[in-house]
Amino acid sequence: MLPATTLIVAFASAGLVYLAGKVHARLRDLLAVLSSLVLVGLIGLGYGAWGELVYVPDFLGVELVLRLNLLAWFFAITVAAVVSLSTIFSLTYMRRKPSATFHYSTTLAVEGAMLGIVFAGDLLSFFIFWEIMSWSAYLLISCNRGRALDAGLKYIIMSLVGSCAMLIGLLAVYAGLGVLRIPLVAEGMQAASPGFVLLVLLTFGLAFGIKSAMVPLHTWLPDAHSEAASPFSAVLSGVLIKMGIYGFVLLMYAVVGLKLLLGLGSGWLSFHHVLCWLGAITVVIPTFIAVLQTDAKRLLAWSSIGQIGYIILGISFGTPLAFAGAIFHALNHAICKGLLFLAVGAVEHNTGGVRNLNDLGGLAKRMPVTFACALVAGLGLIGIPLTSGFVPKWLIYRTLIEEGHPFLALAALIGTWGAILYVYKLLHNIFLGQLPEKHNEVRCSPPSMRIPLLLFGLAILVFGVAPGIPLRAVQGIGATFGFAQLKVTLWGLASEAGALNMLNICFAIVIAFTAVFLLMRLGAKGPRVSQEDSYAAGSAVPVGRYSYTVDFYSPLSHMIAPYLKDRVDQFYYWLAARGREIADLTRRMYTGYAGTYVLYIVSFLALLIFLQLVWQIW
Amino acid sequence: MVTRIIQLVLSPVIALVVAVLFLGLSRKIVARIHRRYGPPIYQPIIDVIRLMTQHSISHGALFELGVVFALAGSLVTVLFIPLGGTNAPPGSYPLAHGLLCPLSSSGGLLVVIYLMLFSPISIALGAGASANPNASIGVSRKMLLALAYELPFLLVILAIMSHYGTISIAEIVSRQQDSAWGVFSVPLAAVAAFLILPAMVGIRPFDVVGAPQEIASGPLVEYGGRYLALLTVQSGVHLFIVIALFVDLFLGGGVNVVTFLLKMFAVFLAAELVSAVLPRVRIENALKFCWTWPTGLALAQMIITVVSR
Repeated sequence: MLPATTLIVAFASAGLVYLAGKVHARLRDLLAVLSSLVLVGLIGLGYGAWGELVYVPDFLGVELVLRLNLLAWFFAITVAAVVSLSTIFSLTYMRRKPSATFHYSTTLAVEGAMLGIVFAGDLLSFFIFWEIMSWSAYLLISCNRGRALDAGLKYIIMSLVGSCAMLIGLLAVYAGLGVLRIPLVAEGMQAASPGFVLLVLLTFGLAFGIKSAMVPLHTWLPDAHSEAASPFSAVLSGVLIKMGIYGFVLLMYAVVGLKLLLGLGSGWLSFHHVLCWLGAITVVIPTFIAVLQTDAKRLLAWSSIGQIGYIILGISFGTPLAFAGAIFHALNHAICKGLLFLAVGAVEHNTGGVRNLNDLGGLAKRMPVTFACALVAGLGLIGIPLTSGFVPKWLIYRTLIEEGHPFLALAALIGTWGAILYVYKLLHNIFLGQLPEKHNEVRCSPPSMRIPLLLFGLAILVFGVAPGIPLRAVQGIGATFGFAQLKVTLWGLASEAGALNMLNICFAIVIAFTAVFLLMRLGAKGPRVSQEDSYAAGSAVPVGRYSYTVDFYSPLSHMIAPYLKDRVDQFYYWLAARGREIADLTRRMYTGYAGTYVLYIVSFLALLIFLQLVWQIW
Repeated sequence: MVTRIIQLVLSPVIALVVAVLFLGLSRKIVARIHRRYGPPIYQPIIDVIRLMTQHSISHGALFELGVVFALAGSLVTVLFIPLGGTNAPPGSYPLAHGLLCPLSSSGGLLVVIYLMLFSPISIALGAGASANPNASIGVSRKMLLALAYELPFLLVILAIMSHYGTISIAEIVSRQQDSAWGVFSVPLAAVAAFLILPAMVGIRPFDVVGAPQEIASGPLVEYGGRYLALLTVQSGVHLFIVIALFVDLFLGGGVNVVTFLLKMFAVFLAAELVSAVLPRVRIENALKFCWTWPTGLALAQMIITVVSR
């Protein structure tokens, strides 16, 4: 049975890699890369397979089940692919770092936990793997010490709040329905009262919302993503936060079911409508906060929150097109953001740890492959045609417009225009413009860094021109949840009104490009000169002095910065401070005098006697 | 098949010819308003040919590819915009019915607004390949200006798309030809679109991106010779796209290409009359302007559309 095999391989290799690290670094590297690739192969073989496996028949009266279906497969292959490419990237990035062994083995453990989550066939296994993932991710986030410790603490506290909520939901389901296997729970849900359904949705939804960093539960993400090691940031942002999305899909469509979900509440106050608007807010505000960032990884982290907004918007809108767009966008975001974090990691590695956007520039000539790949990923994030980002966003916009929700569509579209601003800022401030003198020595990345970037970039272009490849799997998932079939072709969608054919667009662009290119060749040629040899009205531009990167969008940031303070984060900190005060008050009970404690005991006994005398409880 | 190829070639050719013509006309109109004689209408053709023969420096492959992608992106966008004609009944050849929109069936207005991004991003990347700070300042302004007019522009097209309940431009055009023009059915959106027209085209009072006297033509500062020739043509095609969209969305397209071009000329003339007498604004003021009047009008239109559905 495939899920069991993959889980055994993942967790066993996590242990083996740790042991190998004690023996020899090369052996450890080889083992880590091999096992992550084996996992990709294993899962790839399981395409289209279905099945269930009871792996613990009786755990305190509950069956623990693993299962494989198309939804699980889709998320599993994304997880395995992103983790394996991140592991290959780590070969150079992590070399000679003391925490390398720990990094490799814990990354594999996180992968195993994520695979466990998607393969879990009952809610208890789901919860167990969820906890393994949360805790091993915590270890990896705080691996760098210093500020990473605070970031990790913030992450794990918020995760624990989510886990507690999920545990309450789990207990409620078990108490209410007496079963935990997902198909049986789904059956029980159809007969349950709306209040019970809402309780389950809210408790589980809180956990998933925190993990996927939906506004207003997002505050752990910017710190954690920027402080973790770059290869793990790619995993975090690429697939780990998608586990929240997987949870939402599972909860909303596999457990509660489409019909019940859309019938919950009425008008503006229905569950899915509120979630749609949360998704829309998650698109707009974080996107513009990302525009203001000066730390490359922080910018990408905020952008992740914004892109998650699209996925949540699509999932909760609940039409076939929106659902397909959301699942496809989850894949697209995993690829694009994985690539971008690795690219920023490569820059960080080659420049000796610089990721401040104000200190970089002009690296395109030094790191051409990294630049080209980052460009493709940036365009994919915006959703330019011929990248994999276009079709999912087109699907989401189209359904929002045609179903008569122009304000949601506006939020989604504005998010895209914000994405253009931050993507260009990222690319320009790292790769374009003037090269600071201190980075003159920067050299091209080694192959182990370039290969993952190239593979990610290739995937973006292939899925952009032939969106039918992922769309077929996506619509298969939709079909299992009772959505109407889309007419998917390899090159896009065929339908009566408003078809989409990427091949047409691709051909048109290639032909136009060739024509214009030939036209340009007709013109008179000129010499190629260095970047610094530029026009400045007769007076030379001082090299390395006039870089226009600091405060790149100053007119805009002056206008919008006052409105974009993260008040939610401030509120949580306020809450944490009040919590500390209460704890401090409690501490004062312990005065250190034996007499005080005797007083507590005596007054407690007095209270018991009083209760007994008045109400005769015992 | 043959009609399709003819359409595919004809659309960009019309766009190129009209674009260059408009560039010439623009200089002539502004000159006459300023009580000058002005250059001949074919002056841009002379300029482009001259530029093609002049040698120009280059900063590398990205610098050159930026130009090529910019013009290619604009030409591809033209293929998605109906250039006059009534909508063909399903199953018949569109050209026989005079509808000049070779790729109308591929994604509609949403594809157009995405394809319109190709050129500015390409120019931004190409300009960034040089180390000239003027180019960076220009690109920064271009991005902000784009954000400034995109907010009202998106509101406008969302209002139209929800008013007609479709994302296909060809269908929006045919619906207008059946009933009233967009100017009458979504009037506030039309006014908003006209207010941001100069910003979208990049003419005064919103020519902050080029601004020759301040930042030496901004993104174009390093470009000369054949690159500048292609970019001049690109700016003309971009002008063509924006005005053609306006005609399609608000003036009911055209019964055939000729009436379509006449309507385009009317819109172009109106925009030039405004542009010729206004001075350049600062980028901050451009942001503020675009986010007040046009956005307010477009928002009002969208609320009306949503409520009246």
